[in-house]
Amino acid sequence: MKKALLVHPADNVAVVTEEVAAGEQVEYDREGETVILTAAELVPVYHKIALRTLQKGEAVVKYGEIIGQAVCIIGKGNHVHCHNTDSFAIS
Amino acid sequence: MTDTKEPLSFQGYRRPDGRAGIRNHILILPASVCASDTAEQIARQVEGAVSFHNQTGCSQVPSDMQYTMDVLAGFAANPNVYGTIVIALGCENCQCDLVVDAIRERTCKPLVSLVIQHEGGTIRTVEKAVRIARNMAAEASMAVKETISVSELILATECGGSDPTSGLAANPVIGCLCDRIIAAGGTAILSETTEFIGAEKILAKRAANQEVHDRILDIVARYEEHFRRNGENVRRGNPSPGNKEGGITTLEEKSLGCIHKGGSTEIKAVFDYGKQIPVTQKGLVIMDTPGNDPSSIAGMLAGGAQVCVFSSGRGTPLGSPIAPVIKITGNAGTWAVMEDNIDFDASSVITENRKPEDLSADLYQMLLSVCSGRLTKAELLGFTETAVMRACNYV
Repeated sequence: MKKALLVHPADNVAVVTEEVAAGEQVEYDREGETVILTAAELVPVYHKIALRTLQKGEAVVKYGEIIGQAVCIIGKGNHVHCHNTDSFAIS
Repeated sequence: MTDTKEPLSFQGYRRPDGRAGIRNHILILPASVCASDTAEQIARQVEGAVSFHNQTGCSQVPSDMQYTMDVLAGFAANPNVYGTIVIALGCENCQCDLVVDAIRERTCKPLVSLVIQHEGGTIRTVEKAVRIARNMAAEASMAVKETISVSELILATECGGSDPTSGLAANPVIGCLCDRIIAAGGTAILSETTEFIGAEKILAKRAANQEVHDRILDIVARYEEHFRRNGENVRRGNPSPGNKEGGITTLEEKSLGCIHKGGSTEIKAVFDYGKQIPVTQKGLVIMDTPGNDPSSIAGMLAGGAQVCVFSSGRGTPLGSPIAPVIKITGNAGTWAVMEDNIDFDASSVITENRKPEDLSADLYQMLLSVCSGRLTKAELLGFTETAVMRACNYV
């Protein structure tokens, strides 16, 4: 079983602590409870995996804070990165 | 947050100005780059004396020179210093009497000054200064340690050589340490303004009042404007390709990883670079410093911080002449290969799913033992690298 780290209970993404291949199961701890999800695609080490489906325009939350928005629909178990998430901070 | 059985004191030195130190150094303080080699020769000859290479102190416009003056005065006033011998060349911008006056505004501790051009060159200056430093060191050696409350600690925080583990493990552990120190009545400094960029609005929401809120946005805006005047936009190309490869998607995410090391409490005040933090200032404060490690740490130590906790994913050797710098990594591989330079391993947050709060209890114990005299890796190696923030190029 591969592992991921949920940084803050309010987060909708977790960080995988080793590379995860498509179809592999990933477990993470949510306030003492172990949660398991299946990776929909390859997620490189220390990259983010979606813990639930994120609609286009929805906030991506890590550290309990908004780190950007989904630029398209992101499925549960998908790799969350520059190809589907954009910053609010670039001016 | 803080266990009731957690020790709340350490053994330190009470200074005549009322502040509490954790080291007992004689500082040989070079007023400028031109006095730095001489200062080093003096410090090498006296047990307990420390110095560093000051790359500034001359050829500076007033705003730039002020940063140097604040670091010089702040280092002399830092409570880890028993007394100071200022070594000036004589013709520099940071004139000896200006440096002495600036030190006297901050502290009443032992202070002597020598000007190389008045003494008749390096060798005469070294001979005279070594005798003075020797006598000062003999006095300092008789200082008796006493029990000091953690509430008198000012903890500096820094991150450098960051990688994805910094934001996941090391910085959250430092953040929990800050929360502990603050719960015990102490002070913690969050620094590195350039690394707030993108998360400044999130940070400003944690301000204790409107003035602090506006100041946080202002220091970020001023820093960005500074780069813009030089034709640079720090938001562009940030996060860097290397950051993105490591898994950082947006600038907000990158900055959030950095500001994590300040913990979760509200931000009480914002201090300009190198300005003295009053002993009455408690809680989490921000100091406006660069992301550059040696100059950021120098600013906080000039502010009166006695100790620094520094996270590094890649592993960095940096130390300070006047304060212990406790190095921490969240990267198990870095700990394995860089243990000579790193004091604390926080990688079990990632490898064993340990809670940052639990690890911060161990880091707190290490911090207290360092405050009571335990030497850090950087101290054992004798590292003293120091830099000063710059406003612009040399004249």
